[in-house]
Amino acid sequence: MAAISNNNIARAIYLAVKEKSTAEQSLLFPKIVRFLARKKLLSKAPDILARLSKIINDAEGKVAAKISSVEKIKEMDKREIKKNLSKRYGGMEVVLEERLDEKILGGYRIEVNDEVIDLSMKNRIGKLQEYLTKSS
Amino acid sequence: MSTNHIVENLKKEIENFSAQMKVEKVGKVLELFDGIAKVSGLSDIKSSEMVTFPNGEMGVALNLEDDAIGVIILGDFSKIREGDEVKATGRILEVPVSDNILGRAVNAIGVPIDGKGVLKADKTYPVEKVAPGVVTRQGVDQPVATGIKVIDAIIPVGRGQRELIIGDRQTGKTAIAIDAILNQKGQNMICVYVSIGQKDSKLRKIEARLEAGGAMEYTVIVSAGASEAAALAYIAPYTGVSIAEYFMDQGKDVLIIYDDLSKHAVAYREISLLLRRPPGREAYPGDVFYLHSRLLERACRRNEKYGGGSITAFPIIETQAGDISAYIPTNVISITDGQIFLETDLFYKGIRPAVNVGSSVSRVGSSAQIKAMKKVAGTLKLDLAQFRELEAFSQFGSDLDDTTKRQLERGKRAVEVLKQLQYAPVKTEHQVVTLYALTRGYMDDVAIDRIKEFEQGLIEYSEHNAKAFYKQVIEKKMWDDAGEADLKKAIEDFKNTFK
Repeated sequence: MAAISNNNIARAIYLAVKEKSTAEQSLLFPKIVRFLARKKLLSKAPDILARLSKIINDAEGKVAAKISSVEKIKEMDKREIKKNLSKRYGGMEVVLEERLDEKILGGYRIEVNDEVIDLSMKNRIGKLQEYLTKSS
Repeated sequence: MSTNHIVENLKKEIENFSAQMKVEKVGKVLELFDGIAKVSGLSDIKSSEMVTFPNGEMGVALNLEDDAIGVIILGDFSKIREGDEVKATGRILEVPVSDNILGRAVNAIGVPIDGKGVLKADKTYPVEKVAPGVVTRQGVDQPVATGIKVIDAIIPVGRGQRELIIGDRQTGKTAIAIDAILNQKGQNMICVYVSIGQKDSKLRKIEARLEAGGAMEYTVIVSAGASEAAALAYIAPYTGVSIAEYFMDQGKDVLIIYDDLSKHAVAYREISLLLRRPPGREAYPGDVFYLHSRLLERACRRNEKYGGGSITAFPIIETQAGDISAYIPTNVISITDGQIFLETDLFYKGIRPAVNVGSSVSRVGSSAQIKAMKKVAGTLKLDLAQFRELEAFSQFGSDLDDTTKRQLERGKRAVEVLKQLQYAPVKTEHQVVTLYALTRGYMDDVAIDRIKEFEQGLIEYSEHNAKAFYKQVIEKKMWDDAGEADLKKAIEDFKNTFK
C-alpha cells in the first residue's frame, strides 16, 4: 500500500525538469500542472512546491533561512547571521528570506527547514516565565 | 530574606536561564482527528518520542512516514488546531516517579488525579523499556499470599509470576485482584493497580475500599478512564509497570494488576486503525501480540546480583460468553504463566470466588508454596477433579460403594471450604489449619451447611490452643511432629465442643 508522498512527487518533478533547456522546461510545466489536476493533487501544491524548493536548494548546495524581526536587519548583522548559519549547515550557501513581524516583540527568529532558532523576545519571556514558575 | 538577596538570586537564575537557548525542531499540524495528529517536519524524530503542542499537551510520535509523522495526543485535543507548531523534545515518553507516589492516584502520564496536591518527583522513568534479560533473572520460588484459599492452595502464585485472571463480566475478576491487594498488608509488597477504560464510579469504589482496608499506604492507582482518549488507555499499563520498576529497582517486591487488557487491546486497535495501520484478525493490528508480550515480559524476579526485587503481574481479561478461544484471550493465555478461570455458572451456583479449578493452572506451581501449604493442599486439586467426575456419575445411580460415598462427601466439603466472601482474605496459617482439618477428614462428619461455622470456630479455637503449631508454620513454614500433635489435639478438642 505504498502511498505516493508529496516528497516523492516533488522529487519526480525535479528529476523531470532538471538538466532541461528553458524551452523544454516551459513545455513541461503545463504537463505537470495537468498531471497534478488529474491526480487531484492541486490542493497539495503549496506543500509540493515547498518540498521542491528544498530539493533544488539541496542540489545546488543552498539552504533557505527565513528570518523574522521587528525592524529591518542591518547589512552587517545579516552578514554575521549568514556566516554563522553557513557554519552550522556544513558550509552551504545561506539564502535569507526576511520577514517583518511585530508579534515577536524584539530579537530574531530564524527558521531553517524544520529547525527553529528562536531568539525572539516573545519566546524568551515565555521561557523565562516557564523557568521561574517551575523552579519555585 | 533581604531584598538584595532576592535580587541576587533572581539575577543568577536569569543568567542560568539565558544559557538555555538552543535550536529546536518544529513541525506543523497538518491533520487532526480523534486524538491523532499528522505533523509535517520534525525530520530527525525518534519513534515514541515525546512532542509538545502549544497549549502544553503532550503527544507521542508513533508513525514515522516519508513526509509526515503520526502523533497520538495524550490529553485534551480539542484546543489543538491545524497549523499549530509542534516541538520535538528529544526524549522518549517518560513518567515522573518517587516514593511519594504511594497512596496516590495518577493518570496515564503520571499527573495526580486524586486532588491531593502536586506530586514532587525526583526522577523520571521511560514508559517503554526493554524487559530484564535472562542473566538478571531468577526462578520464581517465593509465594504471593493472595489470601484467597482456592488460589493459595490450588493455583499458587509466586513473586515474579504473571498469572492471568480471565472470565466473563460480573464473575469477580476485579474482586480477586482487590482481595489480593488488601492481603498484602505487612507482606512487604508494593501494589500498583492499573485501571484501563473502567468507569470512574468503579474506580472510586475501589479506591474507597482500598483506603478503608488500609491498603492505600502501599498502593498506587494508575487510571485511564472510559471518558479519556484511547491514547491514554494505550499508555497506562506501561506507565504502571514503569512505576513498578522504580520500586523493583530499590529491591522491593511489587504486585501489578492490569484491569483489564481486553480494553487495552481495544484502545490500541482504535489508535492503529486511525493511524491507518493494516487490520488483521478481529480488526486488531498485527503487533497486538507484541503489545501485550512486551508489557508482561517486564514482570520478573531479579536475582540478588542485579539488585533483587520482583514484579508479579495479574493481567485481567474479560471474555464474551466464556469464549476463551477469541483472539486476545488466547494471546494473553499463551504469554502468561497460568490463568485463573472464572465462570458465570459457578458464580450463580453460589461458589464464590467462581474459580473453575479444572481449567485454572499455575505453571510455576507448587515451588511457590510454603512447605506447610504444599503438604495440606497437595492432593486437593486431584480430589476436586475426582469429585466433579463422581458427582456427574453419581446422578445416574444410587448404589454407590462406601469409598465413593466418602469421596463425594469430602468433595462437597472441599467446595464449601473453598468458598469465601469478598474482602475477607484469610491468612496463610489459617488456611493451613482449615485445609489440614479438611484433608485429614476432620470435617467429614460436620453437616455441610455448618462447615463455614466450623471453620470459623476452629480458627479461633486453634489460634489459642495450638500456639506451637502456628509458631512453626509462621516461622519455619512447616510443622514438626510435636506441632502436628498439638494441632490434632486442638481440632479434636474443638470438635467435642462443636455440636
